[in-house]
Amino acid sequence: MEYLVVALLFIVLLQTRIMDLRRGIICLSVQSALIAAACLIVGTAHGGGLHGFLPGVLTILVKVIFIPYAILRVVRQLTDEREIISDINVNYSTAVAAGSLCLSYMVFDSLLPSVEERDILASSMFMIMTGLALIVMRSRAIMQMIGLITLENGIYLFGLIMTEGLPMIIELGIFLDVLIAVVILVILTSRLRLSFKTTDTNVLKKLKG
Amino acid sequence: MDLFYAAILCYCLGVVTLALPRKLQAKAHYVANILSAVGSGLVLWEAGRLLLNNDSWLGLRWGAYSLVCDGWSAIFLVMTGLAGVITSIYALDYAKAYFGHRLRFLGSMWNMFLLSMVLVLLAGDALSFLLFWEIMAVASFMLVNHEAEIKTTWNAAYQYFVMTSIGTAAIMIAFLLTSTASASFSFTDLAQNTLTGGWATAVFVTAFIGFALKAGLVPLHVWLPNAHPAAPSHVSALMSGVMLKIALYGFGRFMFDFLPVWNYWWAVLVMVLGLLSAFLGVLYAQMETDIKRILAYSSVENMGIIFAAFGCGMLLKVVTDSNWCQIAFLAALLHACNHSIMKVLMFMSAGSIMHGTGSKNLELFGGLARKMPTTALCTFIGSMALAALPLTNGFVGEWMALQGFITLSHQGAAGQDIRLLSALAFILLGLTGALALGCFVRFFGITFLGRARSELVGRAHESGIFMRTAMCCSSILVLALGIYPAPLIKLLCNSLHISEYLILGNNERLLWGGSGSFASYNALLLFVLLAVLGSIVYFLVIARGKFVRREITWNCGTIPTARQQYSATGFSKPVRRGFDYLLKPKRQVTYVRKDHSYFGRLMSYKLEIPDMVTELLYIPLQQHFVRISAFLRRMQQGSVRLYVSYVMAAMVLALVWGAIYK
Repeated sequence: MEYLVVALLFIVLLQTRIMDLRRGIICLSVQSALIAAACLIVGTAHGGGLHGFLPGVLTILVKVIFIPYAILRVVRQLTDEREIISDINVNYSTAVAAGSLCLSYMVFDSLLPSVEERDILASSMFMIMTGLALIVMRSRAIMQMIGLITLENGIYLFGLIMTEGLPMIIELGIFLDVLIAVVILVILTSRLRLSFKTTDTNVLKKLKG
Repeated sequence: MDLFYAAILCYCLGVVTLALPRKLQAKAHYVANILSAVGSGLVLWEAGRLLLNNDSWLGLRWGAYSLVCDGWSAIFLVMTGLAGVITSIYALDYAKAYFGHRLRFLGSMWNMFLLSMVLVLLAGDALSFLLFWEIMAVASFMLVNHEAEIKTTWNAAYQYFVMTSIGTAAIMIAFLLTSTASASFSFTDLAQNTLTGGWATAVFVTAFIGFALKAGLVPLHVWLPNAHPAAPSHVSALMSGVMLKIALYGFGRFMFDFLPVWNYWWAVLVMVLGLLSAFLGVLYAQMETDIKRILAYSSVENMGIIFAAFGCGMLLKVVTDSNWCQIAFLAALLHACNHSIMKVLMFMSAGSIMHGTGSKNLELFGGLARKMPTTALCTFIGSMALAALPLTNGFVGEWMALQGFITLSHQGAAGQDIRLLSALAFILLGLTGALALGCFVRFFGITFLGRARSELVGRAHESGIFMRTAMCCSSILVLALGIYPAPLIKLLCNSLHISEYLILGNNERLLWGGSGSFASYNALLLFVLLAVLGSIVYFLVIARGKFVRREITWNCGTIPTARQQYSATGFSKPVRRGFDYLLKPKRQVTYVRKDHSYFGRLMSYKLEIPDMVTELLYIPLQQHFVRISAFLRRMQQGSVRLYVSYVMAAMVLALVWGAIYK
């Protein structure tokens, strides 16, 4: 589990460095695969069975395969694939990620001192905050989607560890939720490309009355 | 037995006429208005019967909801029923002018409006009261907004809706605060609340704001002079005649039932605001040239008098804790009844004038009495009543209000401040009466007397039979209740549960014995005296043709033209001069061009009298809100990333805060 956490931290920090859309999506897929692995570990630790494995399998199906595939399809239609227009330097997002890592460790040390899963809780909080930071600091719609799914992964991990396996119906609900959100975002991104010839969300400011 | 149910059924059927096909819209109109007239008649009959027998009605009880009728609501049901019958008959003719312009919708909403008012009065618990109150607001909004094609109508309707929603919010808070200290939402339980001190004050303040807004007391009256002219005339008649009184009903319900112990300053507040409304209302009425705005401001004035009398009653009760307060409450209720009748009459007259001439601008009328004799006669009687002249019912209520103020000033227990207050009340009420007289002399004189000021008068025609019937019925009521008010006062005594030794409304005299001295007003005797004197003068002097010489008006050698008459603006000039410091009129004289061969120049004169309260209170408030929103707009840039960063900042702050102060 500790190795998993280290890998997760590494991959999320790497995420903040990536400017290329395609590489960002592959990175996201790897991140989701790590979450799925964590899910399966927790499932086997609690006795296995259908309830133990289904969330992990679903994670692999939805987050590792389907979502990156859907986003990659959109990316294939785009002509400018790099986040060139970003007005904020990548180094700042890495710095924010590092800061949020410190913050989440501090918060959990203060809130839940000497808890067993300190590292994994802190890393989930780190993922939530980094996801938000990615949404704020990237202007391309695809990168913001990646941020959203990172955030979502963080929340899912947090829920998994805190409750040691959510009820089945809630897990299914969460997956459906993410799936629909991504479908809608993909559609919106396509519309954005068709209407404005770019996926830069700054153009949406024009829509303000 | 349950005629109220039959009435509600009538109204509901009237609402359903909306579903009739468009081809049948004329029939739908007749059916809707006849149903509303029948329904109102049933309400009038049943409420009157309950009141005569000093009875109460316990209707439907369904879970927490109930319909009841006691003395206090019965008298308002009588007003609603009476005004409903008269205005529905009037609408049979008047609303036909809307043929092809959502006529079925008008008829349906008309029934809905009457239904909601009856149900507000019948509501026996806070929830149904609020529900029907809100339906009443929506129905009246729809009716005000009926001519939505006109921009000013639309604006007035939305202003009305915003204001009335604020009022409803205040009333809701009042009910919720009361219910926190009671067992349930029903009025009987709310009456046994355990509110004390600050909470009782909070309930009073919110209830007063809510009901004063609906009643149109001064700082909250701004919607009223806009909404009444915008609505069709029979709707304004009902809004002014009944809906404003329902605010008094609600306020009385709170004061008598839910807050039995009153503070000294509550009473002073109600009375002072009432007096201010009375004075400012009539002052602005004097300045207006739109006939329906004049009547709307006059409603502000009369609601002011009603609330001043009510506040006087509260003060008497607080100061002396005796039954003497009943005279003032009786005055408030009596004036409410009378004002309901006469304001319905005057709005119907205004509607008739608008129907005949197609305008509501006073400056364009003149000499209408020859074209519309019945309307002229009815308007004359209504104007007399609104100017509070003796022999009309308008006088009786104000006379009793004055008796209340006199009683207040004679209380031994009262301090100097109360004496000062009653002196102020005297001055303001007297001033109000004088200004009202001037206002309605102007209203009647400019409209019906003199010569035509525009070609509209030449095309004018008398209105239809139903309109005339309705106006004549109202006029007869105005005179009958002015000359013989005793039966009505008996009914009101039943409504307020007053023992009759205080107010002897027996037979024809109206006698009030307060503080050991007696004051009496005998309208019947006055009427007989005046009739005898009048006929003597008529037969001895006028009929013989003495003192009457017919000559052409001497006009310095030139032929008089219609433009040389007093204009409506000119007539009110002295008052405008006198109250310059309050009214702050904006005069603008522009020399348009220099082409008149003798007098040199053509001038245009523009006069504008901004509403003081709007200028001093609402416009600064509005600017303040705009400023705040400009600040908020800076936070709302339209960038999604910015909004997400707000979320992130909030999350980080919450986490840090949680970690530090766990």
